[in-house]
Amino acid sequence: MHKLFSNKWIILSLIAPAIILFAFAILVPIIMSGYYGMTEYAGMGEPIFTGMKNYKRLFFNDPTFWKSLRNALLLGLGFVFIQHPICMIFAILVDKVSGKWEKFFRAAYFIPNVISVAVIASMWVYIFNYDFGLINNVLKWIGLENLQAEWLNPDHALGSVLFVLIWHGFGWGMLIYYAGVKGIDQELYEAAAIDGATGLRTYQYITLPLMKPVIRVNVTLAIISALKQMETVYLLTNGGPGDTTQFLANYLYLKAFRSYEYGYGNAISVIFVIVCILATVILNKIFKSTEEY
Amino acid sequence: MDFVGKNTRSKKIGRIFLIGFMIIVAIGQLFPLIWLFDFSLAKSGDLFASDLLIIPDPPQWVNYVTAFVDGKVLKYLFNSIIVNVITVVATVMISLLVAFACTRMKWKLSKMTMGILLLGMMIPIHATLLPNFILYSKMNLTDSIFALLIPYIAFALPQGIFIMSSFLEGIPKALEEAAVMDGCGIYRIIFQIIFPMMKPAMITISIMTFLNSWNEFTMAMTYLESDKYRTLPFSVLNFAGQYASNYAVQFAVMVLTALPALVVFILLNEQITKGITVGAVKG
Repeated sequence: MHKLFSNKWIILSLIAPAIILFAFAILVPIIMSGYYGMTEYAGMGEPIFTGMKNYKRLFFNDPTFWKSLRNALLLGLGFVFIQHPICMIFAILVDKVSGKWEKFFRAAYFIPNVISVAVIASMWVYIFNYDFGLINNVLKWIGLENLQAEWLNPDHALGSVLFVLIWHGFGWGMLIYYAGVKGIDQELYEAAAIDGATGLRTYQYITLPLMKPVIRVNVTLAIISALKQMETVYLLTNGGPGDTTQFLANYLYLKAFRSYEYGYGNAISVIFVIVCILATVILNKIFKSTEEY
Repeated sequence: MDFVGKNTRSKKIGRIFLIGFMIIVAIGQLFPLIWLFDFSLAKSGDLFASDLLIIPDPPQWVNYVTAFVDGKVLKYLFNSIIVNVITVVATVMISLLVAFACTRMKWKLSKMTMGILLLGMMIPIHATLLPNFILYSKMNLTDSIFALLIPYIAFALPQGIFIMSSFLEGIPKALEEAAVMDGCGIYRIIFQIIFPMMKPAMITISIMTFLNSWNEFTMAMTYLESDKYRTLPFSVLNFAGQYASNYAVQFAVMVLTALPALVVFILLNEQITKGITVGAVKG
């Protein structure tokens, strides 16, 4: 029997499709980026080897690169400190409301998530429109006309982009925290009630501490997804005006497919991969060291 | 007795307030979508009247006809369905095979193989856009359905494998051992014994994979040159220039593009929410 479970040919046949796909779609491209990143290449002719030139330019001569990282960090912080607390509160509320309404709200809050980013971003371009956009109309309607603004101009664009992303991802985050809330043993609440704990205290001493693992995973995912942000920004502002709302993925896309700097674009890709891996590793380390108490 | 009655009454009032509050939030959150739908039935000029919502009189259903025809909704929808069905089925099957090989079979490199494959979760998809574009151009794969399927499946796999293996751990090995005694081969064990028991995992993986690839458009935009395999988001993307000033028709095409996933979600929302929460707990 042991023989059957350690038959090399069977094992190989089981993992081959995944290995081939992984190599072809992920590993080979990254290695290619490593090579092209050290060249000057415009897609035609032969790439010219330039060593670390692209990387030097990226780190020391490219403010947009640093701005993209800063924006990702801001977005990550926005997720963690604005979106997630709201998600958590509503996860608790949805659980508390129970019955038919629980199902209703759980579904309703999730709706924006099933709508394609292409639609969401195009829709928000109109919502932010100065002349007929929903935001300015609402402000007018409640008598705050003096707050009307060009929401996608350099002063407001980044805030607007963050707002859309936080709005769009709200339902997903809520659902994940909801799963965490549901995973808490009901008996703990009952025991706490017998001990005289009520209302907010129950959440402070039972819900929050027990949600720690969920929070940890969610925060990591939020930072990573902020780093990976592309689609919404691409359609909403394409990184502009100027580079006020630039993100790494979008920047790399512009460099590669608008100005045909394949060499430089590949160098950004390499750094992009490294940044994402580093962020994951660092976040895991941070959370591991705080896990003890 | 009196006290208890008072208590439940105040609880009831609290509940009504809570529900009221949550309804207001839901309306606020969904208002942009309501606005979109409302004005998709209006005339383009109505948008400038600066009303929050209007009653279109009469509703301009013709906007939807224009959107449906000129947005090539049917063609793109069909492409989306084909690409997504293949992606989801392949992801589920390949994840199952790998998860079985790495958690149940006995070989030295099983942990390492799994680790490398899971590493894919950390890799940003968009970092592969440019090298993959160069690669597909060299291999003449641009504008083929494989230019979508290969990266879609590859990037869905890590999560699939992860969820599949954590579910597999919950299934007792005794089953397989008994099956081997009866002369079952590995493939039969996987497909006839394990497969039917992995339904919750498969639902979760299918939903996650579907949501991702259904909405994906950067890779499609980069790797495809013609309309042949373009997917539903392109109804919106291609439309913007064509009807730049006809806002109502643009809104209609957005509603149409959003509709299929929305309908599926409303019909299957129990399974979908369950699938995602299960994935969250296992992940």
